[in-house]
Amino acid sequence: MNSRIRIAGLSIGSVVVLGLLGLLFPGSAVGRLVGTIDVSYASAALRFTVPIAFAALGGIFAEKSGVINIGLEGLLIISAFTGVAVADAMAGPAGASQTTLWLGFFAAVAASTLFALLFAIVCIEFKADQIIAGLAVWLIALGLAPFASKVIWGRVNSPSVGTLNDWQIPLFADIPVVGPIFFDANPTVYMLLAAVPLSWFVLNETAFGRWVRSSGENPMALDTVGVDVRRVRYASVLLSGFLAGIGGAGLSLGQAGLFNGSGTTMVDGRGWIGITAYLFGNYNPLGAFGASFLFAGLDALQIRLQQAGFQLPNELIGIIPYVTVIVVLAFVGRTRTPSAAGEHYESGEE
Amino acid sequence: MSTWRERAERTLGRLVEASAAERIFISLAALAMSIFVGGFVILVSGFVATCSEPFLTRAMLVTIPGSGGWGIAIPLPGSFCYNPIQVYKYLFIGAFADPQQFSLVPFNPAIDQYSLAGTLRETSMLLFTGLAVAVAFRAGMFNIGTQGQLVLGALGSVLSVLWTAPYVPSGIVGGIILIPVGLVAGAAVGGAYGAIPGAMKAYADTNEVITTIMLNFIATGIAFVLVSEYFKKPGSGNVETRAIPGYAALSPSLFPRGSSFSLLVLVGALVLTVGIYLLLHRTAFGYDLRTSGIQPEAAEYGGVNAKKTMVSSMALSGAIGGIGGAIYVLMILNRWQTGVPSYGFDGITVTILAGNNPLGVPLAALLFGMLKSGSLTIDFALGVPKQLVGVLRGLIILFVAMPEFFRMLGKRWVTPGAQGENAVATDGGTPTEGGESDE
Repeated sequence: MNSRIRIAGLSIGSVVVLGLLGLLFPGSAVGRLVGTIDVSYASAALRFTVPIAFAALGGIFAEKSGVINIGLEGLLIISAFTGVAVADAMAGPAGASQTTLWLGFFAAVAASTLFALLFAIVCIEFKADQIIAGLAVWLIALGLAPFASKVIWGRVNSPSVGTLNDWQIPLFADIPVVGPIFFDANPTVYMLLAAVPLSWFVLNETAFGRWVRSSGENPMALDTVGVDVRRVRYASVLLSGFLAGIGGAGLSLGQAGLFNGSGTTMVDGRGWIGITAYLFGNYNPLGAFGASFLFAGLDALQIRLQQAGFQLPNELIGIIPYVTVIVVLAFVGRTRTPSAAGEHYESGEE
Repeated sequence: MSTWRERAERTLGRLVEASAAERIFISLAALAMSIFVGGFVILVSGFVATCSEPFLTRAMLVTIPGSGGWGIAIPLPGSFCYNPIQVYKYLFIGAFADPQQFSLVPFNPAIDQYSLAGTLRETSMLLFTGLAVAVAFRAGMFNIGTQGQLVLGALGSVLSVLWTAPYVPSGIVGGIILIPVGLVAGAAVGGAYGAIPGAMKAYADTNEVITTIMLNFIATGIAFVLVSEYFKKPGSGNVETRAIPGYAALSPSLFPRGSSFSLLVLVGALVLTVGIYLLLHRTAFGYDLRTSGIQPEAAEYGGVNAKKTMVSSMALSGAIGGIGGAIYVLMILNRWQTGVPSYGFDGITVTILAGNNPLGVPLAALLFGMLKSGSLTIDFALGVPKQLVGVLRGLIILFVAMPEFFRMLGKRWVTPGAQGENAVATDGGTPTEGGESDE
């Protein structure tokens, strides 16, 4: 915990120092860098946070209940693809309208939840090794989405279907700086801003949250007081699918407006970064959100750096978030996983 | 101490023996289930796809044989483009023969040398990556990072050959010097890169699943930047290095020129398989590695240095992956280029299907080699996207992951009536409600 605070302090400190340097020497490289950071950077970073943070929130619920859901990346892929596919299929000759995009969005969340149900059955009913089953979820999605894209569109990338319109909240949107960031944003950003405190509240202040936590820490005790451990785990895994579904749809329908299935697909490791984010945030939704925002901010920064014409190869800047994850993990190291995570629980075992 | 060792060795041996038959059964059952579910995927995707000649049309006429065209028309919701049985036939036969001419009676194998070479080429590559992942898994380390180790190993191999080539004579002598240089460089780079997550797990207690995945992304990025900025072939529009000299390449032997498959490599891979098996089962290092994988605490109690084993097993795994990378550039591509195929990820599937047993790896590698090679045939001949193989890969892992599923299925078959009581007796717990197998 201490090392976490130290790292957080260190990163905030270095950002402040860099910011001051930039303001003092606007002509320098740092100055140009700081010059690129503005309101639109912040809202871009927040938009980039959506898939990572939703995956992280989902991961927290699943793992807190004792099921390590390593397939989050796959859930993001499935929902990102389904959202675009359904929106495209429903679209009239004029292209997808906002209504069809929203239909796509709900279908995406439903598809991800169904996939999570499959994972839950495999893990809870058939006592599969959670890590291997999670890998399977990832690999199936990684194969299925490009395969289906080829069948539907004849290539692994979809045509553009457009994005969900931003919602502007009157009056509030006019507030300088804060307004454009928080009150003129994509609906999925609002969903995230609501989901983070809500998840924290559910986990820490409700009976369900207590069940989830004890299901991961001491399932037998939970069983003894008469709560069905299996049901709690099913609910948690389904919830992780639901949340990851919003994240994946937020990526394809909230940001890109299409599905890209080449290589590691457009999800490109965001699910894995989400896992790292909640580990870094020590299973606390607020901490996970902070870590997701950090990684997304780096992602947004590399795009800024490219636009600012820095003489660095794009790919080198592109690996910054991953290197950060590695460095962060090296320093934070072990997080205390719930003690029953990864283990099966059979009611009646002594 | 020594008695503890002996006892552990015996228990370990018994465990492996007892589960060997079961592992084989589970792998085969998983394969069968994946083919079945995959067939369903093919059918459904064929319903979505559009084609000029569907294999099932809207009103399918089922005729009674010998009745002269009498039958019933079964209404279908639409037309289906892909025939799963035909797809599987092309997928498996297309891996070594011309599926249109192939027949069993009268026997006509219609062997296609290029398809066969393609299958064996993929098999050899998957043998390396499968072994790499297996070594780490046996040590209890989930190495998802073979892909990254392979990418960097391949680059290291190409660069070392390019650097060494001016100092050695050309021709066969040059090849005899350069090929080992390339292999060693690949192994060294892959091993070093593999040691990183091992050391991070040993000394910073990080989760190797996460770090190895992150390191895959980093490896791709590093290799891209190194090649595009420093080692790019002059004047090329692609991100690629110069080609290695022809005499430094593992040229096709026995198979046609241009097939990019050298039988020597397959033989080498099989020798390596036996070597790894012996290393795991006949040496002190292998013993330490296996016990750390099965019982880390007990291994440490028995005097195994867990940290050292973590680093060395990951380094060994990375080195084998790096050799795979070297083979990829020396035999197949002859240069480094972006977009290295996902051999590393396929290696995970191969080793999981093989139950992490090195001796099972060749069979699993052959199966996936066939699938990968056959996927080109179904794409080309039937218009079924070759990405289908990716779906099958995931399904196979999913089914291998749940042996309990097959046990329940088996139980059901043996005693369909007394299912509930049986579950109590064997599990010692309450019956699983309904025990439904909704797959």
